[in-house]
Amino acid sequence: MIFERNCLLIALVFALLAPLLLQNQYAMHIGVLIMFSVMLATSFNLIVGYVGEFPLGHTAFLGVGAYTAALFSTRLAMPYHVAELAAPLAAALFGLVIGAITLRLRGPFFVIVTLCFAEVLRLIANNWIGLTNGPMGISGIEKPSWAIAGDAFQQKVSYYYVGLLLAAVSLFVSYRFVYSNIGRAAIAVRENRFVAQSIGISPFYLGLLTFVLAAAIAGLAGGFYANYVSFVGPEVFGFSFMISMIIMVLAGGKGTLVGPVIGAILVVLLEEYLRDFKELRFSIFGLIVMAVVLFLPRGIMGFITRRHETYVRRATRDA
Amino acid sequence: MDLFLQLLANGLVIGTFYALSALGLTLVFGLMRVVNFAHGELYVVGGLLGWALTDLVGLNFFLTLAVVIFSLAVGGYLIDRLLMARVRGQGEEPTILLTIGLSIFLTNTALLIVGTAPQKVVSPFANKPLFLGPVVITQSRLVLVAISAIVILVAHLLIQRTTLGRSMRATFQDSMAAQLSGIRTSHVYGFTFALGAALAGAAGMLLSSIYVAQATIGDVVSLKAFVVVILGGMGSFAGAIVGGLVLGITEALWGGYMSSGYVDAIGFALVIAMLLVRPYGLFGKYAERA
Repeated sequence: MIFERNCLLIALVFALLAPLLLQNQYAMHIGVLIMFSVMLATSFNLIVGYVGEFPLGHTAFLGVGAYTAALFSTRLAMPYHVAELAAPLAAALFGLVIGAITLRLRGPFFVIVTLCFAEVLRLIANNWIGLTNGPMGISGIEKPSWAIAGDAFQQKVSYYYVGLLLAAVSLFVSYRFVYSNIGRAAIAVRENRFVAQSIGISPFYLGLLTFVLAAAIAGLAGGFYANYVSFVGPEVFGFSFMISMIIMVLAGGKGTLVGPVIGAILVVLLEEYLRDFKELRFSIFGLIVMAVVLFLPRGIMGFITRRHETYVRRATRDA
Repeated sequence: MDLFLQLLANGLVIGTFYALSALGLTLVFGLMRVVNFAHGELYVVGGLLGWALTDLVGLNFFLTLAVVIFSLAVGGYLIDRLLMARVRGQGEEPTILLTIGLSIFLTNTALLIVGTAPQKVVSPFANKPLFLGPVVITQSRLVLVAISAIVILVAHLLIQRTTLGRSMRATFQDSMAAQLSGIRTSHVYGFTFALGAALAGAAGMLLSSIYVAQATIGDVVSLKAFVVVILGGMGSFAGAIVGGLVLGITEALWGGYMSSGYVDAIGFALVIAMLLVRPYGLFGKYAERA
């Protein structure tokens, strides 16, 4: 717990200083992408790591958040901060409904049904042209005044800090959640559902609570994304975001808060690096996914915590 | 009324094809409980291999079918022994990830090799329309429906009547007990996955003679196959047929009478609705164990 908090605080200090060290527009763009990915990975990790189910349709909430923010700013001409607040609320609402339906199921059924919901939402975004403008998507989302002030570098830096703020809030809320009694109860459910039930924990309500929180964070990320890219199309519901989320969380280490952050940084950098390989990079990506599952089943954080634990044990024994 | 009959006939034909394309998944997901997201990609590999052999090499259709079935069976066996066997017994999450990784790899490698263009398997059956009263069906589709029925029947007999089928069912009911009674379960897992892959490939090749084989359609095939398997209930071939027909007919009727835009959403809506009412499928049996 303390180890994890210290890691996150050190990461925060580094993230705050990064723009001063990297006077580079491209690096800041990568930074913004990392902040977005950290939010997504944290959100996905709450369900995978703490409920222990695998929501393959988690992009539903990313998409709902992105579309909500886009519609709020284009249709209702709301300022960015209102749209950014509406996005997680709408996503949480969808999370409540979808979670209440899907959390009755477990294992493969849960996986497939969440995926079904994401697909239905994608088809609606594709076909309800009156609302979503169909496959053309919603473009020209208005940027707030801080985002158009200064030169291109300063604009990126502004987005970077806003992204950092949102990511820090997401991680803080997740941290408080995970280390509260609710979080501990969730871990009890994940480890042994029947024992948890026998001591009076209701897996369904715990799952639903976590699900709604995760949905809200994904919606927050979606709202940020919509404003940064200034365009939202049905592909936000698509499978490619899902795949990056999965790789981030699994490679970083599920069930820890630091793991997904490391995973997000690694995946964003790897995606940029593999750009040189053009079409081949997706094939390489597939191979990496398989390699991680086979050789790093608990992710990088799993590896680090094991080392850390043996170190602590040795230190206490020697003392 | 004529329109209704025509739509019903279309639905029945497409439903049979859905059942055929989901057969492999019925085994791997329904019986073996491996959530195989690479199913659609195996289907695509079958279709593309069929196209390459019939169109580029000029091989006979049925000979090609045999080659496709054999090579996918070998591929499936290797996938199981080299990848799936390593994560067996660790819950469904690692297998989901492995198969997703495999599907990304297969899709993009296929894209690199053959590109995005849709390809067609050269079919020996005439594409002549047949008039049965008010209903029109092309000859090739009718032949394929017959072939699908044969394939489904053979797969059913294989599972229910042969020693291999019996040891498969024993292994997936209780692998420990199966092992104690002398079944080499690791081989059974391998053979089941091989059979699933072969069925997926065969379906891909057969259906690509009517539709097209394209590197990018794997996702859609996987999703529809999951819908069919869940609608029919896990692991029963009769269920797969029912699931396929239900999906095919509903889609045809909806597309004919209502809007065509949301046709693809129907399967998902059906699955969501059904899992709310009967969480383990129309014919599924499931008991929770601690």
